[in-house]
Amino acid sequence: MSELEYVGRRVPRKDGPEKVTGGAIFSVDVRLQGMLVGKILRSPHPHARILNIDTSRALQVPGVKAIVTAADTPGIPHGFVETPRYPADQPTLAVDRVRYVGEEVAAVAATDHYAAEEALDLIRVDYEPLPSVFDPLKAMEVDAPEIHPNHPKVKEPYRNIAGKTETAWGDVERGFAESDYVRQDRFESHLRTHGYLEPQATVASFEANGKLNVWTSSQGPFIKRAKLARTLGLPLSSVRVQKAYVGGAFGGKIDLFSHEFCAGLLSMKTSRPVKIVATRQEVFCAYRHGQPLIVEVKTGVKKDGTLVAQEYRVINNPGAYRGSGVVVIFLAWGFAMLPYRIPNLKYEGYAVYTNNPVRAPQRGHGAPQMRFAAESQLDMIAEELGLDPVEVRLKNARQSGELLPNGDNVHNCGLSDCIKEAAKSTGFSEKCGQRRKAASSERYRRGIGMGVSSYFGGSLIYPNSSSVIVKMNDDGSVTLLTGALDIGQGAETVLSQIVAEELKLPLEEIQVIAADTETTPVDIGAWISGGAYVSGNAARVAAEEVRRKLLEIAEEELEASKEDLVVDDKSIYVTGSPDHHRTYRQLVEASIRKHRGDSIIGEGHWRTMRDEPMHPSLATTKGRWSENYAFDAQVAEVEVDTHTGMIRLLRAVTAHDCGFPINPLLVEGQIDGQVSMALGHAFMEQVLMKEGRTLNPNWLDYHMPNIHTLAPSEHIDVITESYEVGRPYRTKEVGEGYVSAILAAIANAIYDAVGVRLFSTPFTPEKVLKGLGALARSDENDTDV
Amino acid sequence: MNKNIVALTVNGEEYDLALEPQVTLLEALRDHLGLTGTKEGCGTGECGSCTVLMDDKPILSCLTLAADCRGSQIVTIEGLAQGGKLTAVQEAFLEKGAVQCGFCTPGMVLSVTALLDENPQPSEEDLKKALEGNLCRCTGYNKIVEAVHQAVETISSPEGEGRQA
Repeated sequence: MSELEYVGRRVPRKDGPEKVTGGAIFSVDVRLQGMLVGKILRSPHPHARILNIDTSRALQVPGVKAIVTAADTPGIPHGFVETPRYPADQPTLAVDRVRYVGEEVAAVAATDHYAAEEALDLIRVDYEPLPSVFDPLKAMEVDAPEIHPNHPKVKEPYRNIAGKTETAWGDVERGFAESDYVRQDRFESHLRTHGYLEPQATVASFEANGKLNVWTSSQGPFIKRAKLARTLGLPLSSVRVQKAYVGGAFGGKIDLFSHEFCAGLLSMKTSRPVKIVATRQEVFCAYRHGQPLIVEVKTGVKKDGTLVAQEYRVINNPGAYRGSGVVVIFLAWGFAMLPYRIPNLKYEGYAVYTNNPVRAPQRGHGAPQMRFAAESQLDMIAEELGLDPVEVRLKNARQSGELLPNGDNVHNCGLSDCIKEAAKSTGFSEKCGQRRKAASSERYRRGIGMGVSSYFGGSLIYPNSSSVIVKMNDDGSVTLLTGALDIGQGAETVLSQIVAEELKLPLEEIQVIAADTETTPVDIGAWISGGAYVSGNAARVAAEEVRRKLLEIAEEELEASKEDLVVDDKSIYVTGSPDHHRTYRQLVEASIRKHRGDSIIGEGHWRTMRDEPMHPSLATTKGRWSENYAFDAQVAEVEVDTHTGMIRLLRAVTAHDCGFPINPLLVEGQIDGQVSMALGHAFMEQVLMKEGRTLNPNWLDYHMPNIHTLAPSEHIDVITESYEVGRPYRTKEVGEGYVSAILAAIANAIYDAVGVRLFSTPFTPEKVLKGLGALARSDENDTDV
Repeated sequence: MNKNIVALTVNGEEYDLALEPQVTLLEALRDHLGLTGTKEGCGTGECGSCTVLMDDKPILSCLTLAADCRGSQIVTIEGLAQGGKLTAVQEAFLEKGAVQCGFCTPGMVLSVTALLDENPQPSEEDLKKALEGNLCRCTGYNKIVEAVHQAVETISSPEGEGRQA
C-alpha cells in the first residue's frame, strides 16, 4: 500500500483564497440587472383568524411592482417532513389563520426597500385574535386552544399532538424489578438559535424561457429545488438552484422557507429578479430556532452500575407547524440508546403544537438535550452506588460489532478508548470527587465532569444519495462535479482530497463545480452528517473509474499489463522503470486519438444501506437508520465562583472516534466550533419569549460566545477506520456529534465543584447560587422558555 | 430624497458617488461600488462582519454614513492582497484553518490587520480587545487565535521584516 499523500493531511481549504480576499459570492451578494427588493408582511398575533386582506393602498406606492397573498399561491403546503403519516402542514403564505407571531401573510416586491417597507405598512389585514398556548404541557391539555387537530393515529386524551414516537424492547418492568437501584429524574432544556452570521437570503429570477433561477442561503440545493418546484406548481426541471457560498447554517437553513417561495412567486409575477434578505431581527423573531425538550428518564441498574432498564418520556415543542419536531422525537430515541447497552428500554416522545414560531433542526438535533439528561443521571447513579463514573461508562459502553435494537451494526466502535483516553489525559480519576471535599470553604472551586455521546451519519432522507462526476481535461487536470454545498464544513476540500489521492494528482489541479441542480449530480446535502462518507465515497468511485480508464490506455501505450503499472504524480509508469511512462495529458490525448474520441470521465454513486428501500419509521423507530456511528467522550473542567455563581470553562477535552479524519485540520475546526456552541448553550445563550414574542432579538441581548469566551478545546483522535486507495472506506461524521457530551460534562463538572446538581439548561449563576442556598428559591422568571 | 456627490477613496481608488444622505458606508461599498466582500450580518453594529479600515482603524461600516468618509482612506477586504499576493494575515487564516463558512472572515482579517499594523507584537489581551467586536460562529475562535500568532511570527521573522500585516 502506498503512502497517503492527500487524504489524512492537514490540507488548507480549497475555497480559502476566495474567502480571505472577499471574492466568495454568498446569496446576499448576488446582484442581477433590474433586481427588485422583496419584503415580507408578518403576523403580529400568535393565533388569529384572518378576516380580510386589503392590498389596494399598498399597490399605489410608487415603485411597488407586485404584492402576493395566499390567494396568489397554488395553495400547496410544505413541511420538513412530508410522508403519508406526517403530511405537509404549513402554508407558504397564511390562508385564513395565523398560528404564530411572525407567520408570513403577504410579500411585496418594489424597486427599493423604502417603497417595499411603505407598502408593508399600507397592507391592511383584519384579524380576529384567537386563544393561544405556548407551553407544550398546557397545549396537551384537553381544553387547550386547538392549533391543529390531533394527529389521527394518536389515541391518548391530549390535544395538539403533531406526532408521537413509541418504541420498546426487552421487558422494561421486569428490568426495573431486577434492578438493585432505580431512580427517576426530569430534565429541561431551553431555546437557543443557530446564530449563523449570514441572514436568510434568496435571489430568484424567472427567465423568459420559463426557468426559475434561484440562489439561496441553504444546506443543499436539491431539497430546495424539490420543494420550490412543488409549492410554486412548476415542473422540477423548471427550477434551478445554483451555488452561492453559505454564511453558516447549523441546521437552520434546510427545508423550504416562505421567503424563498415568495421570492420565486414575486419574480414570476414581475418577470424581474427579486431578492429577499431577512433582517437580523426577523431571523431572531420569526425564523426557526432549535427545540427545547422535556426529558423524563427512569433508570434501573445493578449494584455494579450495569444498566438494566431505562424508560424515557420526551416532550417536544416544535411550534405552530410540525417542522422537524417529529424528527426530533424519533432521534431522541436514538440518542438515548446509542452509546450504552440497555437491555430493556421503553421510549415515548410527543411533538406538541404551540403558538410559537416553527422550529428546525439545530446542530445535534436533540442529542445535547438527551445526553445532558442521561449523562447527568448516570453520574448521580454512580455517586449513589459509590462507583467511579469512568468505570460505569466503560462497563456499559458499546463495543465493536454490536447490533443496535433496530438491526444496525455499530461496526468499529472506539467508545471505550475515547472514555479511557479522555480520562487519562485529564487525570480524571485523581481529580473527580476530590476537590469538593477538600476545599469546601474556598470561594473559587474547581470540578471535573465527563459525558459520552454518539451520532449517526448519512441516513436515508431525500435525496438519499450522492453522485459525483470526475472529468479529465486535455491537460491532465480534472474537473470534479458534485452537488455538495460547502457551508463551511469543507465539503469541496474533502472531496478534492479523495479525488487527488485516487488519481495522485495535486489538489491545485482539481477544479470543483458544485451545488448546482442543473449541472451537477444529486447530493445528499449538508444536513444529514453524510458528506465525508456518502459524497466522499461517490467521489472515490468516480475517481476510481477515471483511474481504471487511464490504466487501460496505459496498458496499450506502454505495452504492459495493469499489474505492472504504477500511478504516481500525474503519470503512469512501468514498475521499476520510471522513464517508461505516459503523463495523464498523453493518455487523454491517446484516448481521444485512438478510441474514436473517447474522453475520460468517471461517475460515482453512493448511498448508505443499499439494501434498505426506505428510511426508518419516525413513529415506531423500525427500520435501519445508519451504517456509521461516531462516538466520543468529552471531559470538562470548570471553576465556579461560589460568591457570584459564575462558572468558567477551563478545559474541554474531546476524545473522538470519527472513523478516519480525512482532513484533521477541518475535523479540529468542527470540534472547536461545537465545543464553543456547547459553551454558549451551557452559560450564555437563550432566546427569551413571552407569549410567542421574542424579547431579545439581537446580539446585544442574545449572547453568543466571543473571543473573550473562547472555549479551550483539546482533541484526541481515536482512529478506528483506515483509507486505502481503490477500496470503499467507512468514515464517520464530525459535524454535529460533539455539541452534546460536553454539555453533560459541564453539568457534571459543576456538581463536582460545588455539589449543585442542575436539571435544566442554561447553567446560570442564579441556579448555582440557589443550589448553594445563597439565593432564595422562588418561582423563576416570567418568560415562557 | 436629494442626492449629494460623495467623494470616497476606497482601496486607493477615488470615486464620486451620488448618494442620499442616509446611505451608510456599507451600502455605498456593496450596492454602489459592488464591493460585496464587506458583509452585513446584523446591520446594527453587533457582529463586526461589516468591518472595514478607515485611515487604518477598524470601523463598523453599517453604522458609518458614507458622507462622513469624505477625505478618508477606506480599505476593504478586496484591497488587501496586492497583485494576487496574499498578506501575512490572509495566509495565516488559510493555513491555520481559521476560515470555515467565511462570512466573518473579511471583518476578522481586517481587524487583525489593523491590530498588527499598529502593534506587531500584541499581547493576548491586546488580541482579545482587537477582536472582541467580531463574532464568529464556526470556529470557536481557537484557530483564529492560532492564525494571529502565526501572522505575528511571519511579520517579525527576518524574511517578513517590514512586511505589511
